[in-house]
Amino acid sequence: MKFMGKKSKRERTQAIEGYVALSPWMFGFLFFYAIPILASLYLSFTQWTLVGSVKWIGFENYIRMFTRDPVFIDAATATGFFVLYSLPFKLVLGLMLALLLNMKLPGMNYFRTIFFLPAVISGVAVSLMWIWFLQPDTGVVNTLLRYVGISGPGWFWDINWALPSVAMMSIWKVGGAAIIYLAGLQNIPAHLYEAAAIDGASKWQQFWRITLPLLTPVLLFQLIIEMIDAFKIFTEAFVITQGGPLNRTYFFLYYFYEEAFRNFNMGYASALAIFLLIVIMSATALVKWWSNRWVYYEN
Amino acid sequence: MKTETLASSRTQEIMDLHKARVGQRNRRALPKNILIYAFMTGLAFLFMLPIFWMASTSLKLPREVFAFPMEWLPSNPQWGNYEEAFSKFPLWRFMWNSTYMVVLSTIGQLISVPLIAYGFARFEFPGKNILFMLMLATLMVPTHIKFIPLYWMFQQLGLIGTYWPIILPEFFGHPFFIFLMTQYMRSIPKELDEAARLDGAGSFTILYLVILPLCKPVLAVIVVFSFLWNWNEFMAPLIFLDDFEEYPISVGLAFFQGRYSVEWHLFMAATLVSILPVLVLYFFAQRHLIGGLSAIGLKG
Amino acid sequence: MFKKTTKAIFSAILATPIALMALADDKVTITVWSMDGHDLGNEDTHRQVIAAFEAEHPNIKIDLTLLPESGLEDRMNTAIGAGGKLPDVFPLLSGEWAPIALDLSPYIEADPELSQDMYAEPFWRTRATFGDSVVALPTGIGANVVLYNKDVFDKAGVEYPTADWTTEDFIKKAVAVTDKANGVWGGDRPRDAYRAIWHNYDAQVYSDDSTTVEGYHNSPQSLAAYQWYWDLVHSDATPTKAEIDVLGTEGTGPVDLFIAGRLGMATLNQSHMLRALKEGVNFGMVPEPAGPSKDRHANAWSATPAIAGNSEHPQEAYEFLSFWAGMEGQYISMTTGLNMFPSIPALWKDHPYIDHPAIQTFRTTLDWPLVRDFDGTHLCWRAALRRVDEVYELIGLKAIERNEIKKALDKEVVVLQTALDDCVSRLGS
Repeated sequence: MKFMGKKSKRERTQAIEGYVALSPWMFGFLFFYAIPILASLYLSFTQWTLVGSVKWIGFENYIRMFTRDPVFIDAATATGFFVLYSLPFKLVLGLMLALLLNMKLPGMNYFRTIFFLPAVISGVAVSLMWIWFLQPDTGVVNTLLRYVGISGPGWFWDINWALPSVAMMSIWKVGGAAIIYLAGLQNIPAHLYEAAAIDGASKWQQFWRITLPLLTPVLLFQLIIEMIDAFKIFTEAFVITQGGPLNRTYFFLYYFYEEAFRNFNMGYASALAIFLLIVIMSATALVKWWSNRWVYYEN
Repeated sequence: MKTETLASSRTQEIMDLHKARVGQRNRRALPKNILIYAFMTGLAFLFMLPIFWMASTSLKLPREVFAFPMEWLPSNPQWGNYEEAFSKFPLWRFMWNSTYMVVLSTIGQLISVPLIAYGFARFEFPGKNILFMLMLATLMVPTHIKFIPLYWMFQQLGLIGTYWPIILPEFFGHPFFIFLMTQYMRSIPKELDEAARLDGAGSFTILYLVILPLCKPVLAVIVVFSFLWNWNEFMAPLIFLDDFEEYPISVGLAFFQGRYSVEWHLFMAATLVSILPVLVLYFFAQRHLIGGLSAIGLKG
Repeated sequence: MFKKTTKAIFSAILATPIALMALADDKVTITVWSMDGHDLGNEDTHRQVIAAFEAEHPNIKIDLTLLPESGLEDRMNTAIGAGGKLPDVFPLLSGEWAPIALDLSPYIEADPELSQDMYAEPFWRTRATFGDSVVALPTGIGANVVLYNKDVFDKAGVEYPTADWTTEDFIKKAVAVTDKANGVWGGDRPRDAYRAIWHNYDAQVYSDDSTTVEGYHNSPQSLAAYQWYWDLVHSDATPTKAEIDVLGTEGTGPVDLFIAGRLGMATLNQSHMLRALKEGVNFGMVPEPAGPSKDRHANAWSATPAIAGNSEHPQEAYEFLSFWAGMEGQYISMTTGLNMFPSIPALWKDHPYIDHPAIQTFRTTLDWPLVRDFDGTHLCWRAALRRVDEVYELIGLKAIERNEIKKALDKEVVVLQTALDDCVSRLGS
């Protein structure tokens, strides 16, 4: 009867109920996301100083962005490298940490809390704490290094170490990811391990053949979520480095912020934001497409 | 009968073998375990170092903060710093405001997310996949873009200066939670739905009486994360609130950063206190959190 | 119980706008946004000023929103961008906001108690006016001065800096006083280029008509200033950006090191002077060192509240503004809280710290041409300066040779010109 063209009553009711259930989200999406994004899209084709009127200038902003703006390149590079530096570490370290925390040893509860803590704190205070922590002169890390005779680098203030320092801050929060992996690990049926053990598989083989494949859906979830977050990095640049030194940490959203709220260049800033959005969407789509090769769904 | 006994005795053999192996493993594992503990403790120490540093600073005198050479511990712990921080700004008041904001926001999520997830998980309708993708895409939107349009919107409604602009959006579902809960619901067998339908239950009755009670773990996840994120929310209260007395602690802490200088010892003291509620919540919710996330399956 | 409290809070929040509307029938409510701890005073000071004002004007109620320093600019920009109602009174933090501020000239003319001559001329000139309009009134003032730690100088056996010292003296004294073994530096570095010291070399970042960068940013005068900075950095007598960078918001960061006795000289401002007094540091004060220029320059500023152009109650808003920035309000701000320095010279004799010799020094700097004279009239200087950072940063990081500076400046001129043209086309000059 379905193939007759007209939907059955059941299906129509289902569709209606589905829409009804979704309605809060649709309403919220429209007002709190769709309208701002459309507004940004519109603004990206204009020149606007906030205090003045909005002037339509077509593709000017985009042309400038791609041909005449060295800072754009700095921002794209800084953000790109940040994603590349932090993401692999976060994924691998998160998994390793989860494997450790998964052990059935007494007191693991406390360790879990301790490692989750960094993910829980955020905001300006944490950034300030890191400024101190990594201060070349009085900071804890360099003092410790001095004890063992190493002269520590300039961290946030060194051209080559600024970006890795910010990446380090992000990796410090790896406990949050570990929790998600932990959950995934608990979900793998124990009998699979037992069967493998009986067949004589070593721990390592068990990891490669059972754990990892069954964990891939979780890994994908984390990869996507963390990649999106990495592209949106902002606070550290805002609070600590102000984009320096020499624009090495001039992250994209920080560029947006400066253009919009310091240089009163709202139109151009909107173009930057739209560009970032497109990049993130493309990256996510790419990852999803790639994931078809290595993600294993137990269906 | 015979096959059963055979099967059960075979099972028994396997179980015994397994137990023996575990026993062996446990005995051989002791030195390995100690190694693991040592490693974990070392790692934990490193992770906690920044926070230890905050605590140490919070107990120092202003001139000790930048002394040379650096001092690990204050010579004379100034517990009075905490009192001073609290008398400088109404921090208790700020934390109460934060609690209010967090509780209402979380309630908003708890009301909206199950409904929306139910729609995605159990119903078929044209455009469903596109809508799901759109929902995920909202995670990708940079936060700052929203503020000017939102400000204009809420100004038209006359709601600037209240907590509404901050809390209202929470009643429409955060994509992260929707995604999580959708996955979770997908793993609940449809047979339960169908059984209830045979008994005459409508779709929404099924949601609230059959499915939701089974969702306790993932609801716990939502509560914890919603609490965390809202507790730390800074931009929105800054933009939308008018009254000094009504600021949440996230904004309140910003007052410690003066234009000309920062009173570090007080600032650290205040920050540490502000972290406490979050920690306490996490500590108690820990059990549910792991249970909740694992039960989701995150498959498909 | 909890439900009841929530309900109560809910209704209270909902009722507030209604209550305010009721109030509006009897009184006029003026919304004021301000910052805490700025030259505008801390929370206590604000409340006292408001209380005194409301006592004298029973028909006007002041609704104060106090924001953290970092937040007010963001919030104002959001409100301006949203295009709706703005606060009646707000600090004019950014020259770019001038177009949306109310022209106060007619109100001042009609006001018998307030006139332009009341105020210290430099601040009226650089902060209150915009083109032909008066957009704000100056309240608390501040200026950069060099504080020096007498104990550090005594220990090194070096003579104190004198008021007429030069930029070369600065380097010499800094080197003499540095004691690395004990973690003491001689002096601090300028926070960025084109502040007072650059002006003391007659260096200017771009032409007066905001069109040309060539011949300005890479002029011999500018080069001399940058070379001085290079010499300073390479004297190793100053802490690096890392060592100073403890979140100085506008970059007046060295205060913590100075108070800790680890900085022989620091370029700070009068507000830090008060802090040094409180902490018992044995200090003296001199203006920033002179350069080869004819006129010495000062980097001075003042907090300037303004009225929104679209305010619905401009007259009442003016009443409050003229009180706050007038004799009465500034007197209160001067004698409470952070002891702000008023922009009305007639009040100075009543300042609690007026007898301190350092304050005399502070006052002399106010007679000089200000850095703001250029910055205030050239709206694009900030946008331009952001792009000009590279040479400055390279020098600071010791990543460039002294004889390479000219070439680097020439290269920057091109970048700067593009940024300037782009900005001018947007904001005017």
